[in-house]
Amino acid sequence: MRDFVSKLAFILVLAIVWELIRLTGRYPALLFPGIGSIASALWMERVDLIGRTLFSLRIIGIGLVTAVSLAMLATFMSFGGKIFAEVISDLMAIMHPLPGIAILPVAILWFGIGVRAILFVIVFSALWPLINHFYTGFRSIPINQLEVGRNLGLTGWELALKVMLPASFPHILSGLRTGWARAWQASVAAELVFGAAGGQGGLGWYLYKKRFMMETPGVFAGMLIIVLIGIGVEYLIFAGIENRTVRKWKTIIN
Amino acid sequence: MFCIKRQRVVALLLLAVLVAASFISGCGQKTVQENQTANDDEQLMTIRVAKQFGLVYAPLMVAEKIDFFSKYGLKVEWLTLGSGGAVREAMASNELDAAFMGIPPYLIGWDKGLPAKIAAGYCVIPVSLVTYDENINTLEDFKAEHKIALPSPGSIQHILLSMALEKQLGDPNALDDNLVALPHPDGAQAMLAKKDVVAHFTTPPYLFEELEQPGYKVVLDGFDAFGQDFNFNVALVTESYHDSNPLGYAAFVQGLNDAMNWVNENKEETAKLLAPEFQIDEEKLLKYLTAEGVNYTTAPYGLMGFADFMQKAGYISKVPGSLSEIAWENILAQVGKREGGPCTLETIQWSK
Repeated sequence: MRDFVSKLAFILVLAIVWELIRLTGRYPALLFPGIGSIASALWMERVDLIGRTLFSLRIIGIGLVTAVSLAMLATFMSFGGKIFAEVISDLMAIMHPLPGIAILPVAILWFGIGVRAILFVIVFSALWPLINHFYTGFRSIPINQLEVGRNLGLTGWELALKVMLPASFPHILSGLRTGWARAWQASVAAELVFGAAGGQGGLGWYLYKKRFMMETPGVFAGMLIIVLIGIGVEYLIFAGIENRTVRKWKTIIN
Repeated sequence: MFCIKRQRVVALLLLAVLVAASFISGCGQKTVQENQTANDDEQLMTIRVAKQFGLVYAPLMVAEKIDFFSKYGLKVEWLTLGSGGAVREAMASNELDAAFMGIPPYLIGWDKGLPAKIAAGYCVIPVSLVTYDENINTLEDFKAEHKIALPSPGSIQHILLSMALEKQLGDPNALDDNLVALPHPDGAQAMLAKKDVVAHFTTPPYLFEELEQPGYKVVLDGFDAFGQDFNFNVALVTESYHDSNPLGYAAFVQGLNDAMNWVNENKEETAKLLAPEFQIDEEKLLKYLTAEGVNYTTAPYGLMGFADFMQKAGYISKVPGSLSEIAWENILAQVGKREGGPCTLETIQWSK
């Protein structure tokens, strides 16, 4: 509760500072809209915003599920054989530093203009940090835990599910966190750079349109939604998973 | 426990104050810098102008190459910005003194309080919707799967399409879900590859290049959509520059006139000068520069014609009460104010 109060206080202070800067009149309203006009933009655009948000969440969901499955597959494969491990770690070294948005031109060439290109960018952005975390997670399983598991007669899937997964879960969780953040960034960035095809577009396309219509309060409203979803997913989903798993199992200290 | 929380709140407060302070001090530094540049260039006035690419900017490119401004004591600082949206934002934040944009994007800015007015008309140039699909001959033939490329929402191409849609189908937003926002070169590339899009609302040289291909045709002509001629772009000068630097303003307008006139008088030399810039051969460029409908002029055409439609369709919230709300005095003097009913120049500011 106190945590919540301190966060609320921070947001309130930020809002007050924002309004004070605006009231000095140093910046035109076109660049620095008031809190009131942002709130009214949020309310007026609620139907459009909800639609755009759902669209964004849907393609990010599809992208993330694909990326997680691919990352799991790659991780298992790299434990299956030395050649796979080398190939995947080389691929990681090449691809991980490449920002997802940088492959947008290639994505458009391969998949055309539309949702599939954006989906490709999302999967690409999320995949490498996911593999990185998963791989580190599995590699950092203490050998003695594995031995204990084997001594108890666990093999194959049982060993993976009951020993390896809990032991590596902190890494998996932080991989998911990074993957989610990267996917979210990629979807907004891709739509902001090249717009969207037709009526299909998420929050990035919303920001793009508002920018071209010079509706600055609308741009801030869209940004606010993006931030709120980020906070919501962190506190409702990831914190929940954390409390129910690694905190309960006491695999992490704090 | 409580102690820690309080420390955190204090830390957050400090952070907020820091952010605010950096905003305000950043602003202070800027004014100091501005004063310095003003002192440095006391002999020569300067104006910061956004540069863009396209056949319509030929006079501007010539003006930069031959320098039509220094004889009036003006130095032009050319800036290149990514898109029309960025140009407008730069004007609003006083990073630019002058820029060129279509009348609809300007009206959107004007409606939101962009402190700039029209200093000159800038060319009358054909702008058309092109397709290669043999089944598409009118706007009614577009189906849900037919994608139309145009530069951005709120661009002159978008508004012309909406105007035609309202006239022909009764719904200005009928094809909104078909639109793809693509810069002109990317749109042209998609059209020539016959990939992703079936139609492209564009301007020369892209328009001419597409129409040179067999089977590519015009579905909608911009002048038909508007009802008569209109300036493809207008030259805008910010209020602060116009008010604080009247000599610089006059020099900019006159230099623009000189450049425009030079292009009209010397189209062959213009083609020679700009062919490397456009990366096409001289003859082709000359053909484009002399194509039917191309008119390099600073006269105002159709300045008021987009506003009524844009307000009705919800793109802007208000309509300029008179030309003086959107244009500087040299334009107002050109158009004039005939007693007892409008003159020709006044009537051509409206759409039909």
